[in-house]
Amino acid sequence: MSNLGQFDSDFYQSNYTIDNQELSSEDSNAYGHLYVSGKQPASDQRQPAFIPPEMLLPSGGEAQLFQPASSPDYYSQSSYVDSFEEEPPLLEELGINFNHIWQKTLTVLNPLKPADGSIMNETDLTGPILFCVTLGATLLLAGKVQFGYVYGLSAVGCLGIHTLLSLMSSPGLSCGCVASVLGYCLLPMVILSGCGLVFSLQGTFGTVLALVIIGWCSLSASKIFISALDMKGQQLLVAYPCALFYGLFALLTVF
Amino acid sequence: MAYHSGYGAHGSKHRARAAPDPPPLFDDTSGAYSSQPGGYPAPGADVAFNVNHLLGDPMANVAMAYGSSIASHGKDMVHKELHRFVSVNKLKYFFAVDTAYVAKKLGLLVFPYTHQNWEVQYSRDVPLPPRQDLNAPDLYIPTMAFITYVLLAGMALGIQKRFSPEVLGLCASTALVWIVMEVLALLLGVYLATVRSDLSTFHLLAYSGYKYVGMILSVLTGLLFGSDGYYVALAWTSSSLMYFIVRSLRTAALGPDNNGGPAPRQRLQLYLTLGAAAFQPLIIYWLTFHLVR
Repeated sequence: MSNLGQFDSDFYQSNYTIDNQELSSEDSNAYGHLYVSGKQPASDQRQPAFIPPEMLLPSGGEAQLFQPASSPDYYSQSSYVDSFEEEPPLLEELGINFNHIWQKTLTVLNPLKPADGSIMNETDLTGPILFCVTLGATLLLAGKVQFGYVYGLSAVGCLGIHTLLSLMSSPGLSCGCVASVLGYCLLPMVILSGCGLVFSLQGTFGTVLALVIIGWCSLSASKIFISALDMKGQQLLVAYPCALFYGLFALLTVF
Repeated sequence: MAYHSGYGAHGSKHRARAAPDPPPLFDDTSGAYSSQPGGYPAPGADVAFNVNHLLGDPMANVAMAYGSSIASHGKDMVHKELHRFVSVNKLKYFFAVDTAYVAKKLGLLVFPYTHQNWEVQYSRDVPLPPRQDLNAPDLYIPTMAFITYVLLAGMALGIQKRFSPEVLGLCASTALVWIVMEVLALLLGVYLATVRSDLSTFHLLAYSGYKYVGMILSVLTGLLFGSDGYYVALAWTSSSLMYFIVRSLRTAALGPDNNGGPAPRQRLQLYLTLGAAAFQPLIIYWLTFHLVR
């Protein structure tokens, strides 16, 4: 067991200093703690299976612990080791671009401005999912736990409208693109749901407001679809299915 | 052991930038890396594993390529199976509509009595699409009318404080089942009468679906004007729909040669058409009376 003491001292000493060095070159300080950094491949064969982890540090290994070139086994591609520094930030890697989301939201909120068909080329589902969750949350505040219906309706509706659009015109849009457009245009419905928290929507004013919001949503959605698919003389025909889709959401919200 | 496992979560970051060798304590279970020869369990399983770590590994690349090829293969299989049952080109014919056609057809469904020429026009034995021929059936109006009916039913039930999202599904499936049964009955009738015509399943589906326009009008009138309004609208839409169906099916059954076939067969066709027409008001009443109380 004397070895244990030696390992312990090596362990603390080596890791802490090396960690300090690494910390200075790294942004995150979250991991500046004691850490068992590894062992040499040569020592693999020497270690029996039942040795508790504390004893696994090689005695003479600290000097070689942090040299990438000396370990061919696991990270043999140098690109891997470099890629940690060059790793893109998390949001970029996930494809979430808040600026784009904000711009698309602004486009939707103004239905009278002619749409640029190219903005919906990137299939971005983050904004739509965010709006769906917000709609579910506002419905929850009104006492209706209907997240499942919101998601189910959106999925079925997206599939249906994708089928209809591909039958009515040349199949140009992918399902993800349709889902993205429909999801962004769901934002006014969130506004309606928010209004429903303040006053009851079942009166005349509520009905009129619901109709206006449905019209707003479907106008935006059909405008984007028309410009993306280049369909002529069919805007009302595309707007009506979208109006039905949003009408289902309005039913959930109002009643 | 405690202090080791406590830092397990940070293992990958350290490992990536500093230690080329993963330590035995913190098995990297994220990538293709097997656990250490020590055979240690991974106490601090790496939660924050590096995505690049996964993509930089050749085995993961192979796995991703395999996965995407499987996915595209699956998609092709679905398309092939679907195309065996549904011919997409034939279906596209029924959706080649424009706004003017839809407006005129809706007007025709409500007031068909002044329309003179009911024959479907052909160009070289191929029927003209609905865009160019008012008499051609389409599937856009029936589909939209069906969904509008479900929506209206939900709204009517909501006004009566009987709404819940399950009811929407119930209404939709009930109406769908009735449509399927009617189309099957019509198909059976067409088969038994051995009508030589261009009436495919989609044609029959289209003509069955036109009744939903009448249903919507009846329900709307009933909601706005009460029970009396409902019955008046029901009578009007039923009669106009019956007239529309009789006139359309009689000319649709003739085909491009205007050849009706022998007399008994023509009588059978007439009975079939009249039966289909008489069924419409019944089903309209059955599916809407509970919405207007």
